[in-house]
Amino acid sequence: MSQALLDIQELSKYFGGLKALDQVGFNVMGGEILGLIGPNGAGKTVCFNLISGVYRPTAGKIYFNGQRMDGTSPHQVAHKGVGRTFQIVKPFGTLSVVENVLVAKGITKYNRFSRIWSTWKSKAEINEALEMLERVGLKDLADRQAGLLPLGNLRRLEIARALLVGHKLLLLDESFSGLRHEEIVQLEELIRSIRETGITVLLIEHNMRVAMGLCDRLVVLDHGSKIAEGRPQEIQQNEKVIEAYLGRKEASDAA
Amino acid sequence: MSAYLITIATLIAIYAIVVCGLNVIVGFAGQISLGHAAFFGIGAYSAALLATKGGLSFWTALPCVIAVSAFIGLLLGLPSLRVKADFLAITTIGINFIVEALFLYVPFFGGALGIGGIPRVMFFGIKLKGLAFFYLCLFFLVVVILICWWFRRSWAGLACFALREEESAAASMGISPVRFKLLAFVIGTGMAGLGGALYAHYIRFIAATDFAFPVSILFLSMVVLGGMGTLWGPVLGALILGALPEIFRPLVDYRFLFYMVLLLIMIRFQPGGLLGERSAVRRVLASIIPGAHQ
Ligand SMILES: Nc1ncnc2c1ncn2[C@@H]1O[C@H](COP(=O)(O)OP(=O)(O)OP(=O)(O)O)[C@@H](O)[C@H]1O
Ligand SMILES: [Mg+2]
Repeated sequence: MSQALLDIQELSKYFGGLKALDQVGFNVMGGEILGLIGPNGAGKTVCFNLISGVYRPTAGKIYFNGQRMDGTSPHQVAHKGVGRTFQIVKPFGTLSVVENVLVAKGITKYNRFSRIWSTWKSKAEINEALEMLERVGLKDLADRQAGLLPLGNLRRLEIARALLVGHKLLLLDESFSGLRHEEIVQLEELIRSIRETGITVLLIEHNMRVAMGLCDRLVVLDHGSKIAEGRPQEIQQNEKVIEAYLGRKEASDAA
Repeated sequence: MSAYLITIATLIAIYAIVVCGLNVIVGFAGQISLGHAAFFGIGAYSAALLATKGGLSFWTALPCVIAVSAFIGLLLGLPSLRVKADFLAITTIGINFIVEALFLYVPFFGGALGIGGIPRVMFFGIKLKGLAFFYLCLFFLVVVILICWWFRRSWAGLACFALREEESAAASMGISPVRFKLLAFVIGTGMAGLGGALYAHYIRFIAATDFAFPVSILFLSMVVLGGMGTLWGPVLGALILGALPEIFRPLVDYRFLFYMVLLLIMIRFQPGGLLGERSAVRRVLASIIPGAHQ
């Protein structure tokens, strides 16, 4: 087996007394689609924020391609080839859809002072951005103001932007939520095609059917701890996982 | 053109230069600055000192003046731009008061008397005054507008727009928030320095109060009125607010109040300004002026 692309070791993040993530460790192998699942508040998004550098871990280590990556700031993580989407979508509201994508295309420029002075309003750049929009099915909306799009389109816009940044690893935080059935099918298709191009995908997903169908392996979090890890069929039968999900449900049904 | 009209036109051109700089900071990068007059003052004082004590010509001093303003912008921006938007407003006000106090109390800067006897600008042996000096200001205004025009088309500009809209998303796309905010700050304060140099050589006698906090409010009002983040907004804002007190003479005494009220009205009813529909900085302004939400 090849070396892990992402190696997370005993990762913890506390907010005051709240252990949002407590000594969680797992690997993401190059080329796989790994699902991070768990009930609400399990610590999934916190885990993404630690990987992408938004938070500094309270303890633990993150290795990317064999190099320490924890404590690296978000823009530097991006320059390592890690792209991410946000659970709460974050479009550049007053910019157009294609301009949103162009911002992500600029990743090859932002680190070089000499490059940031050239223009993004060139035919070549815009055409490439349009190609990316075509890939996620947003080409027709290229000139629309991003802030005015419905959620389904914004999720796709987020993926388009993340794809231009994450040529090694893509972090998708609930990209399927709020989508209609046809959109879900299209997006599954897209994620598989992304993996075909050699990009590793780590995704957070609440829709079990989607997670089971799409992921090679799953990591299950609950209350900040890892409670299971394995292939979808194994996870489906895992006692702890069933308890975590059902227990929650019964508790909320009783309430 | 009458001498009176030329005077007003010249001041408007100078203000437009300074306000274009403020627009880079506030409009393009979304960083509120309530202390822009400080950098206008730093430009004016360094130009005045280099001309009177240093004996340098306007032209040899100008690159230094712009560099000094931009460099101090860099130094002051570095800690300021790391703080959240509301604190940035307070910090920049603080910078304005400190700089004004330094001009006022440090003897080297002329103290309460200010600096007088600043020579006129020479151009191939000719003293530039009246209409000729106005054209000089217009020339620099065109240069500044061209820089802004290019900035908006550049990756650097796009990075600033992204930061203005959604900082964490921009960072996830490889944009260093600190680096690009600083870049905008340096360009903006450099332009303020240029305007300051022109002002010093035009008025030829400068004092600390020329660069006090109300002047910063005036500059911000010009940006907001014209349209934050637009190319021509600052020029329009400078034109209107530069001409208005001349047209309505009684207004002069209530200028500061008028600008404040205007700011509030604009933010409440027309946050995009006269020339723009972009309203990203509204959040920032709304957060510092209670009651301006929505
Ligand atoms: N910045 C923060 N400050 C304080 N607490 C936080 C912060 N971010 C997250 N938390 C808390 O950490 C816990 C884990 O949150 P997280 O967002 O990772 O959950 P999640 O697994 O993504 O859930 P969901 O499925 O609802 O998105 C929650 O209890 C949350 O309230
Ligand atoms: Mg979450």
